[in-house]
Amino acid sequence: MDKLERLLNLTAALLDTEMPLTAEEIWDRVGGYPDAKPSFRRAFERDKDELRAMGMPIEVATVPGADPPIDGYAINRADYAGDDLRFEPDELAALHLATNLVRLDGNDTGLMKLGGAGEIGQTGISIADQVGRVPFDDALATLISAAADRKAVAFRYSDTDRIVEPWRLSFSRGHWYLTGWDRLRGAERLYRVDRLQGPVEVSGTAEEAVGTVSDPLDLRGWELGDGEPTAAKVFIDVTQASWARHILGEVDDVDGGVVATLQVRNVEAFRSFVLTFLDHAEVLEPAELRDDMVTWLGAMQ
Amino acid sequence: MSNRLTARDRLTRLLSVIPWVAQQDDGALIEDIVTRFDYPRTQLLDDLQDVVFFVGVHPFTPDSLIEVEIGDERVHIRYADWFSRPLRLTPEEGARLLTAGRSVLPLTESDDDNGAGPLLRALTKLGTALGESAADAVDVRLGHAPSDTLAVLRDALARQRQIDIEYYAYGRDELTERRVDTNRLFSDQGNWYLSGWCHRAVGERVFRVDRIRTVAITDEPNADVGPTNASSFSPDSDDPRVVLRLAQSARWVIEQYPVEQVVENDDHIDVTMAVTAIGWLERLLLRLGPAAEILRLDPPLPADLCRHAAARVLTRYQ
Repeated sequence: MDKLERLLNLTAALLDTEMPLTAEEIWDRVGGYPDAKPSFRRAFERDKDELRAMGMPIEVATVPGADPPIDGYAINRADYAGDDLRFEPDELAALHLATNLVRLDGNDTGLMKLGGAGEIGQTGISIADQVGRVPFDDALATLISAAADRKAVAFRYSDTDRIVEPWRLSFSRGHWYLTGWDRLRGAERLYRVDRLQGPVEVSGTAEEAVGTVSDPLDLRGWELGDGEPTAAKVFIDVTQASWARHILGEVDDVDGGVVATLQVRNVEAFRSFVLTFLDHAEVLEPAELRDDMVTWLGAMQ
Repeated sequence: MSNRLTARDRLTRLLSVIPWVAQQDDGALIEDIVTRFDYPRTQLLDDLQDVVFFVGVHPFTPDSLIEVEIGDERVHIRYADWFSRPLRLTPEEGARLLTAGRSVLPLTESDDDNGAGPLLRALTKLGTALGESAADAVDVRLGHAPSDTLAVLRDALARQRQIDIEYYAYGRDELTERRVDTNRLFSDQGNWYLSGWCHRAVGERVFRVDRIRTVAITDEPNADVGPTNASSFSPDSDDPRVVLRLAQSARWVIEQYPVEQVVENDDHIDVTMAVTAIGWLERLLLRLGPAAEILRLDPPLPADLCRHAAARVLTRYQ
């Protein structure tokens, strides 16, 4: 018997039953399993793992009246199907279009469950070419679904174990960022998702109200850090002025260029940023940051 | 999708196909199933005949089996009571659809729509399944570029017109004026790019939109340049190569730069990169400072490139 047939029959049996089925009953009623008990047990465990990995809510419960107690298995039909979302054809088509326009790393199987890939022509949207690519992995999926469903998560970051209530996941300048409430610190914190160490585990329900999430577009590396910021002034040549204005927003026009005032908490990131202008920018003040730049460049002489 | 589906791929598909077909009173067109569920025709027909036909519950008498009827063009499925609804989305699947949808929402919803467009409606429904805060859970910026520049480029693409741009060539650190046949606007790793035929370079080029300083649509129609394979970064095989020895603290270079070869050692990493323009290598070396050492630098790149760049910047401070 095809393994696929066995898995479908197992699913049907677990959905059909009103009482949890024991392993013995499954062996007897589903078919397609090896005759020898130990091989059956191994095959059954693998099947269960496989179905659970697909999202099937297989429940384990003690079979009523069994003495000694014995585990039984069942799938609740309402849990299996979840909310009945009933997508309109143009809505399915729009989701299909979205998955075509943006390529996420990994496999897309969700659309099928909603009713398959609809005809894109039904959306009335004229762009058809892929416009972008966004990194995606399991940790990110866990964080997004926790943020959506107001759950807390546990992970390790900067060598510290943390419990965080995710508020929002933002993709900006090629990286995913998590904004959320760090219970350990009792404060809002920002994390780069690709720097999370180890797995992300859901850990209970969120308690803190969602705060106002700052726009990741405003994220500037030199502002990230602890402590009081230092206000630094940087002169930027007129040839780079419009770019600087685009990146920094507020800049002051002066003779031959613009002057930007940056709030610096991270000197290394500040230096990196100023050096992206090569010899079209100059740190004006304070003296410490100007000296830092001179020392840094001097070491390369 | 290849024609060889794994058992898991087939199971995922069948659990969605069975309820979908069972819901259609007149059955479903085989061709429809093939496209909607990305199910190769031969595999689909085999699976329906050899697998689904035998699916049911104990005691597997005809009345406890799914009924499958396959015609020339249509399939009917009945009595698939256990599979009357598809398996719910996993959190991962939901998060993926939400992310894809939210990424392109700004591109697809226009102001003159009457009410919410189909994508926004779909995302709202999806959100009800994912949780109360789903609408604010994900925010995707495909790129960072002035929205007025993007709007002009989209307009030029829609009207298939040539554009005149002032473009800052970051690698060479110079401002250039170019006439471009517009071809495609796309995002990669957080930046917007425009690909097109550059009259100045006499060739296909890719421009980073945030480095376009000014853009004007001309009256000239695009020449028909055909489809493009342009990507955001495409080194020529004869570009000079640099081999850098990086300290572990400079590991981010591997993530952020197109590296051709990476050799990991205990306390350092050796990376090989193509140098398409001298300016970006200067920036990288100045930023890395003592965290990078040049192991090899192909001619015509000057061996003392880093020292020179540092000296040039230093003159500003004297």
